[in-house]
Amino acid sequence: MDSFDSTTKKFKIPLLNDSVSAGFPSPADDYTEENIDLNEHLISNPFSTFFLRVRGDSMINAGIKDKDLIIVDKSLTAKPGNIIIAMIDGEFTIKRLSIKNDELYLKAENHNYPDFRFKNHIDVQIWGVVIYSIHSYL
Amino acid sequence: MRISSIDAIALIDANNFYASCEQTINPHLRNKPVVILSNNDGCIIARSPEARALKIKMGTPYFKVKEKLNKLDVAVLSSNYSLYGDMSRRLMNLLKKYCEQIEIYSIDEAFVSISRPNDKNLYPWARNIRSLIYQNLGITLTVGIGENKVRAKIANKLAKNIDYSAGIFDLSRTRNENNYLKRISVDNIWGVGKQTSNWLKSKGIKNARELRDMEENEIIKKLGIVGKRLQLELKGYKCLPLEKSKKSKKEIQVSRSFGTPITKLEDLTQALATHAIKASEKMRSQNLQSSDIRVFARTSKYSSQNYQRSAHRKLTNATDDTNSILKIVVELSKEIYNPEYKFSKAGVLMQDLTNSEYLQQSVINYKSQKDLKKSATLMRTIDLLNKRFNNNAITWAITKTQKSWKMNKNFLSRSSTTDIEQIPTIVK
Repeated sequence: MDSFDSTTKKFKIPLLNDSVSAGFPSPADDYTEENIDLNEHLISNPFSTFFLRVRGDSMINAGIKDKDLIIVDKSLTAKPGNIIIAMIDGEFTIKRLSIKNDELYLKAENHNYPDFRFKNHIDVQIWGVVIYSIHSYL
Repeated sequence: MRISSIDAIALIDANNFYASCEQTINPHLRNKPVVILSNNDGCIIARSPEARALKIKMGTPYFKVKEKLNKLDVAVLSSNYSLYGDMSRRLMNLLKKYCEQIEIYSIDEAFVSISRPNDKNLYPWARNIRSLIYQNLGITLTVGIGENKVRAKIANKLAKNIDYSAGIFDLSRTRNENNYLKRISVDNIWGVGKQTSNWLKSKGIKNARELRDMEENEIIKKLGIVGKRLQLELKGYKCLPLEKSKKSKKEIQVSRSFGTPITKLEDLTQALATHAIKASEKMRSQNLQSSDIRVFARTSKYSSQNYQRSAHRKLTNATDDTNSILKIVVELSKEIYNPEYKFSKAGVLMQDLTNSEYLQQSVINYKSQKDLKKSATLMRTIDLLNKRFNNNAITWAITKTQKSWKMNKNFLSRSSTTDIEQIPTIVK
C-alpha cells in the first residue's frame, strides 16, 4: 500500500510504518512528523507581513547587518523600543522608535548616524514593525 | 415600505487600487501623481488621487499624453498583476476575518454581510475596517452600506461623491433617502446596462428615485423578472443573495496583445503555444481538463483592417496534457492565420471544462492508461519544478526562440511582495 486517494487530497502513507524489518525496529518510526515550516513560526499575521532587504550598517548595534532580510508586520502598532520601518520624504528607513523628554524620535543603532526628530521633517509615516531579521553566514 | 431586517450588506472597495498598491510598497511614489497603464502600455487604467487632481482622464491612450505627463512629473507604470493580485489576496483575507460572509466581486471589491442587531449604527464598524486595512496594507477603502446589494452599491457611490462622508455611507439609516437616490443617475445603478438606461431615459426615468417609484407593470413588461428584482432591491427588499462559493469556471482563457503587430505564422504559433502552456498549467492547478480547445487572433480595433478568426477542436477525451494541447494549438494556428493581416492580439480558450476527479475515461481512449499515467507524472513534475525554481524553469522549445510579439511592459514596477529577489531595499 503506497498511496491513498481522498476526494480532495492525495497523501502518501510513509512506507516505513508498514514495513516489518527483520532487524531492530527503527526507533524513529513513531516520530514521523511534519517538517518545520518557518513561516508558521515567524509570521502570525501573514496578510500584513512583508519582506524587505537592508543595505548599510545604520542598525549594526541592534544586530541588523548589511544584506539582512527583515520581516515586517504592518498590522502591529509601533511602540517605543520597537525597530520600525518608516517612510521619510520618499525613502524607506529602518530605525528604533525611541522616546526622550516625552518626544518620540528615531534612533539609528550606530553612533555614526544622527538621531532623527519627527518635527524636522514634513512627510513621515511609520510603515511597519520589524519582527525578525535574518542574517546569512555564508 | 422597507422591510425591517437585522442584516446589512456592505460593498467594500479599495480606492484607486492599482495606484495604491504601488504607492504603499514604494515610498518614492507617496504623495506623487501616479498613473497605471493597461496591458501593453496602451491606456491609463488607474490614477492616484494626485493624478486625478491634475485632471488626467481614465482611458486616455498613453501616447497622447506622454509629454504632458512628463512635464507634470507624473510617475507612469505598467500594470503589475503579480503585485495587485497579491495585495488583493491579502485584502480579501483580512476582510474575511471581520465580516460574516464575503463575496469577492472583483480584484478590489467585495460584498460582505454584517448583522445589525437592533438597528445598530454601523459607522463604527466601517471606520474600524477602514483603519485596519489602512494600517495593514496602506490601502484606503470606501464602504457603502445598505439593505441589499443594489443599495449597498448605491451607498458606495454616495460615499465616494459626498465630501463629508469620509468614505462611509449607510443608505439604510439616512433620513432624506429621496434626496440621495436622486443623485444617482440610472446608468450608475448596478445591473442597469446601456440599453436599459436608454429605455428608462426615453420614459423620463433619470435617477434611482424615479426608477424605484416607477409603475411596476411597465418595468416587468419591458425588463421582466430582472427588472422587477432590481426595483424591489431599490425599495429595500433583499432579492440577490451573497454568492459565497465561487462558481466553477466555464472556461480558462489566456490572451495577450502583442507589443508590435505580427504578420508571420511562426510568430502567431509561438504566441499561441506560449498561452496554451500557461492555460494547461492553470487547468492542472485547478484539477480541470478541457475537451474543447479554441484559439483566436484579431487585428487591432483601431486599424482599418478589421479581421478576426477563431478555430476550435473538440476532443473525445478531456485533457490537461500540455503536449497533446500544443499539438492541437499548432494545427489550429495554421487555420486562423492569414498573411494579409497584421494581428494585434491572440489567445487560447480551454472550454468544456470538467473536474479531473469526476472524469470518466472513455473506453475507447486513444491513449493507454499507462501513457496517461506517464503524461500526468511528467506534467506534475514540470509544474513542481516551475513552482520551485521560478516560472518557466522548464518549458517547451517552441517558446524559446526570439519573441518579437512580447507585450510592452516598459514601466513595470517590481514584484515587491511576491519575489524575494525583488523585495524593497532600505538603504543606510
